[in-house]
Amino acid sequence: MGRFLLVLRKMAATTIRLSSYLCCLWLIVQVHSVNRDNFKTCEQSGFCKRHRSLQPGQSPYKVLMDSLKISSSQISVQLLNTKTNVRLVLDLYGLQGNTARLKINELEPLKPRYEIPMGDVLVGEPKQQDLKVLDKGSESLTLGLEDNKIVLTFSPFRVDFVAGEEPVVSINAQGLLKFEHFRKKPEAPAEDAAPGEPAEGEEKKEEENKEEEKKPEQEEEPMLWEETFKSFHDPKPNGPSSVGIDVSFPGFENVYGIPEHADSMALKTTKDTDPYRLFNLDVFEYELYNPMALYGSVPVMWAHNEKSTVGIYWNNAAETWIDISSTTADKNFFSKIADLVKGNSEMAQMDTHWFSESGVIDIFIMLGPRPKDVFKQYAALTGSTELPPLFAISYHQCRWNYNDQDDVKNVDANMDMYDIPYDVIWLDIEHTDGKRYFTWDAHKFPSSKDMLNGVAVKGRKMVTIVDPHLKRDDNYKVYADAKSRDMMVKGGGGEEYEGWCWPGSSSWPDFTNPEVRNWWASKFQYSEYDGSTPDLYIWNDMNEPSVFNGPEITFHKDVQHYGGVENRDVHNLYGFYVQKATAEGILMRSNNEQRPFVLTRAFFAGSQRFGAVWTGDNMGEWSHLKVSNPMLLTLNLAGITFSGADVGGFFRNPDSELQTRWYQTGAFQPFFRAHAHIDTKRREPYLLPEENMKIVREAIRKRYSYLPFWYTLFYHGYRSGETVMSPLWVTYPEDKSTFQMDDEYLLGSSLLVKPITEQGAVGTNVYFPGSNEVWYDIETYQSYAGSQSTYINAPLEKIPVFQRGGSIVPRKMRVRRSSSLMVSDPFTLVICLDKQGEALGDLYADDYKSYAYRRGEYIHRVFSFKNNILQSSNADPNGRGASREWVEKLVIVGYPKAATSVHITVDGNSQSLHHSYDSSSRVLTVRKPDVNITKDFSITIQ
Amino acid sequence: MDEYMYFVCFLLVLGVRVNAEIERPRGVSISMASKYEPNDKQTFQCLDGSAQIPYEHLNDDYCDCADGSDEPGTSACTNGRFHCTNAGYTPKNIQSSRVNDGVCDCCDGSDEYEGKIECVNNCKELGKKLREEQDEKRRLHEEGFKKREGFIAEASTLMEGKKLKIKELETEKAEIQEKLKELEARKTEAEGPEKEAKDKHEQAWKEQKDAREKERQAGKAREAFDDLDLNKDGFVDVFEIIPHLEFDIDSNGIVSEEEAKEHLEDHEKVDYEEFSSKIWGNIHSIYKKLVPDEPQQVTPPPVEPQGDTGVPVPTEEPQATPHLTPLPDEGDDFDDEDDEDDDDDEEESAEEDKMPEYDEETKALIAAADEARKNYEEADKRSRDIDGEITTLTSYLNTDYGKDQAYAVLRDNCYEYTDREYTYKLCPFSTASQRPKSGGHETNLGRWGRWENDKTQVYDHGQNCWNGPDRSVKIHITCGPDHQLTNAYEPSRCEYAFDFITPCACDQHSQPQVKNLHEEL
Repeated sequence: MGRFLLVLRKMAATTIRLSSYLCCLWLIVQVHSVNRDNFKTCEQSGFCKRHRSLQPGQSPYKVLMDSLKISSSQISVQLLNTKTNVRLVLDLYGLQGNTARLKINELEPLKPRYEIPMGDVLVGEPKQQDLKVLDKGSESLTLGLEDNKIVLTFSPFRVDFVAGEEPVVSINAQGLLKFEHFRKKPEAPAEDAAPGEPAEGEEKKEEENKEEEKKPEQEEEPMLWEETFKSFHDPKPNGPSSVGIDVSFPGFENVYGIPEHADSMALKTTKDTDPYRLFNLDVFEYELYNPMALYGSVPVMWAHNEKSTVGIYWNNAAETWIDISSTTADKNFFSKIADLVKGNSEMAQMDTHWFSESGVIDIFIMLGPRPKDVFKQYAALTGSTELPPLFAISYHQCRWNYNDQDDVKNVDANMDMYDIPYDVIWLDIEHTDGKRYFTWDAHKFPSSKDMLNGVAVKGRKMVTIVDPHLKRDDNYKVYADAKSRDMMVKGGGGEEYEGWCWPGSSSWPDFTNPEVRNWWASKFQYSEYDGSTPDLYIWNDMNEPSVFNGPEITFHKDVQHYGGVENRDVHNLYGFYVQKATAEGILMRSNNEQRPFVLTRAFFAGSQRFGAVWTGDNMGEWSHLKVSNPMLLTLNLAGITFSGADVGGFFRNPDSELQTRWYQTGAFQPFFRAHAHIDTKRREPYLLPEENMKIVREAIRKRYSYLPFWYTLFYHGYRSGETVMSPLWVTYPEDKSTFQMDDEYLLGSSLLVKPITEQGAVGTNVYFPGSNEVWYDIETYQSYAGSQSTYINAPLEKIPVFQRGGSIVPRKMRVRRSSSLMVSDPFTLVICLDKQGEALGDLYADDYKSYAYRRGEYIHRVFSFKNNILQSSNADPNGRGASREWVEKLVIVGYPKAATSVHITVDGNSQSLHHSYDSSSRVLTVRKPDVNITKDFSITIQ
Repeated sequence: MDEYMYFVCFLLVLGVRVNAEIERPRGVSISMASKYEPNDKQTFQCLDGSAQIPYEHLNDDYCDCADGSDEPGTSACTNGRFHCTNAGYTPKNIQSSRVNDGVCDCCDGSDEYEGKIECVNNCKELGKKLREEQDEKRRLHEEGFKKREGFIAEASTLMEGKKLKIKELETEKAEIQEKLKELEARKTEAEGPEKEAKDKHEQAWKEQKDAREKERQAGKAREAFDDLDLNKDGFVDVFEIIPHLEFDIDSNGIVSEEEAKEHLEDHEKVDYEEFSSKIWGNIHSIYKKLVPDEPQQVTPPPVEPQGDTGVPVPTEEPQATPHLTPLPDEGDDFDDEDDEDDDDDEEESAEEDKMPEYDEETKALIAAADEARKNYEEADKRSRDIDGEITTLTSYLNTDYGKDQAYAVLRDNCYEYTDREYTYKLCPFSTASQRPKSGGHETNLGRWGRWENDKTQVYDHGQNCWNGPDRSVKIHITCGPDHQLTNAYEPSRCEYAFDFITPCACDQHSQPQVKNLHEEL
């Protein structure tokens, strides 16, 4: 939707006189002229208002112990609403890896409530873990799950999770459980309050009245059976259906996660604002530092303190709001269920309150206890970031739009002329024939294959945009095909849903339907997508979906999906499915041999399995450069590790300083793509003034030199769900001063990055974590002690990046035109020694593009430096890959003195190596070990 | 790695070629070969002098020299250069990072010796093609250069002509300036007596007219007095004033006694003498004769009817707006209303109010003065025209027409290029524009701005772009056989670029031959 202006202008310029176009023009003007007003506040959302008005401490729910059923890893018990007598059923599961699952559903719903199909978001049925009954009293039931206790209190109903002896998660401790059961619509139409007008007396009322007798109170609750936002009417055929409950984190002061918001990493209390909202929306020129919804949603939250890290995943795809407040824990209660250290000191607590418009309550409680444990626990549920092909983590050159084949050729040639590496050049919507995806503008791109092959000669790729809206044109093959197969989402009346997007009148395939996804995937076959080649990859935009003339610029809530599901139930999953289907298509076209790459704007939990995410239509302003770090840290914490922000900013014209600093920042963020709006000035990096161009080129080259390190990081992420771009507390969990630090971060645990995001800055204070650590500037190898801040000079050419003493980072210093031209180049190992003169590191390598690694064709080496010996050994016996890569150089940083001799031993043969020592920087360089990377070897320094 | 292997590798990477004219390490040009000869100590001195390295470290695929000079034949140094001989074509220095990267950068394939890719040596074909192209280019260039000589001559003649013209004009102007002084004197001389005679005549007429007016007013006063004096008692009294609504000072619809009295200068009644001397002068402009049965009531015209309704009424058609009351006057300006009666009076007496003709003597003086004025004005106009012409010519001459003023011939011409949607037009040193092929008005893309360099012109300050900058165009000029606009595009929103070929750009007598076009193996 960031592109309204253009539509408007184009329409104006061509003075289209068709009344339908003018109608659209009018709509767009309406939509654009107001900004915040396009999106609902909590007050304007019926269920948000109803849940938010609940008062704590008045829970009507109690556990009916007579109904208790216990099996080895699961208990099932009924909950009774004592005010309405409606019964719910609670299922509590023990899961492997310190995880529990708590589900609440209606005991006897009028019809089944929506649950996300197994295998879509959750990678599979989670593996169960035995629960032991530790104690069964009259007031509570205590279960054991590994080293944790789960205490179910009967009246009022609440569940507490105790890790060791620390209470860490409490559910319904505030009694905010509210479950709007399906009900028959009252015969006399309910007197709905006008939207936005609070009905009186609603706060104290629970709506779960007895189904048989409708009490007047029920009608007093606002917006139960229909609601209206602006000119949009939501008929709500199923009536009220929302669910909500509170989750507290006793002992914690900081919570994180629940992207996507343009906000700080540490979440803020929402007392004076709306709750954080999760509802995938196309927000034009989004504002910073507020809880408004953006393009994607991952309902996962972590709480972290010095002792532990825990979190919950709220498995619900409907519109969701989350209130956050900080308070003090009820020590009185907790002393009953845990052996708390007695004392007068207060214990902090974060209270959160989650509510979704429909579906069921399905919470996964991950008990850590360390940051890396929770990431692993979450990855076990929704999957980890797929190992991307190498080109995907290299530099991407994008613009709306590269005008034609010649333009592409020129940009490609200029990048080479200025010797700026890049891997992928992108084509936005203008490359198509009238915004008909899978087609080409015949005049601008008459021979796309020639163009693709032209860049592929240098190992480069291209990406075209494929959005989910299909132009309603019966002569458009893809649309006609989908229409004839009845594959589109339906409007409330069952008709093919129609809305406005780039092509004008459009319809949307129902990606929630697996058959539709298969159909869509088949469209990427080379035979179907004319002019595509194996070097073409895909970008899914506008998949929230963006509907220019829809409520909140998206689908109507009563849009009908596969299986009688409303968009209300699955809204936040639509974009997820679009990317999933696209990735499957790219995978299928290579007979499942090559790794796909698909970038998406909308996302949900689990999207990490299908490709990369970017933070949408940001602005070319310093504030947006700055916010990219917390936004990406939060995405990483929520499992979306392969994420980035448009370098340079999408809207506006950033000056050369901002562009330079943005490139430097992007070079050390996971997904590195420059992008620009069609109305902006051209800004390919070679167009910068020479001084800036050189600095930017250096930043991009630096990215390429660290690609082996990045690739290894992504491999770890793929294997263990670890973050790629990490808050400092992930590695230094006990360092309280890092808990809210989001302008500085770690890559893995080896590189500390503090990008400059302030205009005119010539330096910055860098906090070096770890009291026993020593950190080395990656350029000068100057050392800095841990657990303190130092002002670091950072003139325009400087990116403050530091390698941790004790780490070994593999680099490739022979930076070439693209990453694929570097695949057989040698490694330089940068060995930064810790205070004991030791270091450890690893390297993962494979063919960088296919799934051969899943057949063992990969290399995982571990390097350790100890007692003046560098040892390279196999980290993983399953890896049996071959490689031409070799080791050309060791850079041993923090080495105390010159060496007298250096020997390498390979296969029992020893040979001496040249070496040199720089006493000012304390760097020992070992010349040309010349050993193949797959070999075990040791290098001894004397 | 054992020593034998080392040795083999050493030979391989050094790439000593027996059949080359001069033995030199791989990637070194002939001109640099001497610097790569082994010295007595079997060392190599980095070309920047920064280090001495063992000779066997040359081209051993490890970067030892800060300037990258020790690895001319490998990709080891990030700042190194590899020399391709490209026999049959042009030699080339490529970045070391392009050595053995799987892309054929040298036409002789020498940059890819590790076998990542099989490069075909196509230098000969390329060389042939290049020579043909260059021959053709040179031919065209020669042709263009000749034309350009002509254009320079033409421009020079043109310029000289213009300069000459300026001189002529300046001379003429000087003459006219002299003449102007004289003509002005003559004019002044003739205008004196003319004015005197005219003033005299007009003064006489004014007196006559004033007398007549006085008489007329007296008549009017009498008439009004008689009309007002309804009871014919020889006085006009307060009650005779009251029926006349024009005397309603506070506009409340009635004339009160006080109001009436005020008009009578606080008298209850006045006789004719007093009326004519004191009262009539004050009221004659508002007084209206009483028309029985039809009291005159002037309703103020409604104000701007569009304003109240909010209905967008085309303002160009005010007559379409319904008036609530017929206006007394169809004229645009409602203020005219007040003068209505006077106007009528003047029309009635227009004939007799006309000033009599000047006498013959005055007429003669006027004619003489007219003649003097005409002569002066004609000369003055010519003087100003000359100024204009000089400005135009100077501006023409002051424009930078590039080297040798060769581009001057393009001025006052326009060239067009048509693509799928638009026809683009370039009028050199004037404007650039586009118009849709389908019709519609022309958009100004920019006015002549400046030379950005000797082959690039900028036209800027064109029509503003919606939500964007003023349009501008860069003209990229290359040598060609004719003046022709060959391409137009929009690399960035509202920033256009034209490609223009012209012999004016063929500014080198002869294209240099392909440098070192190797005929050797």
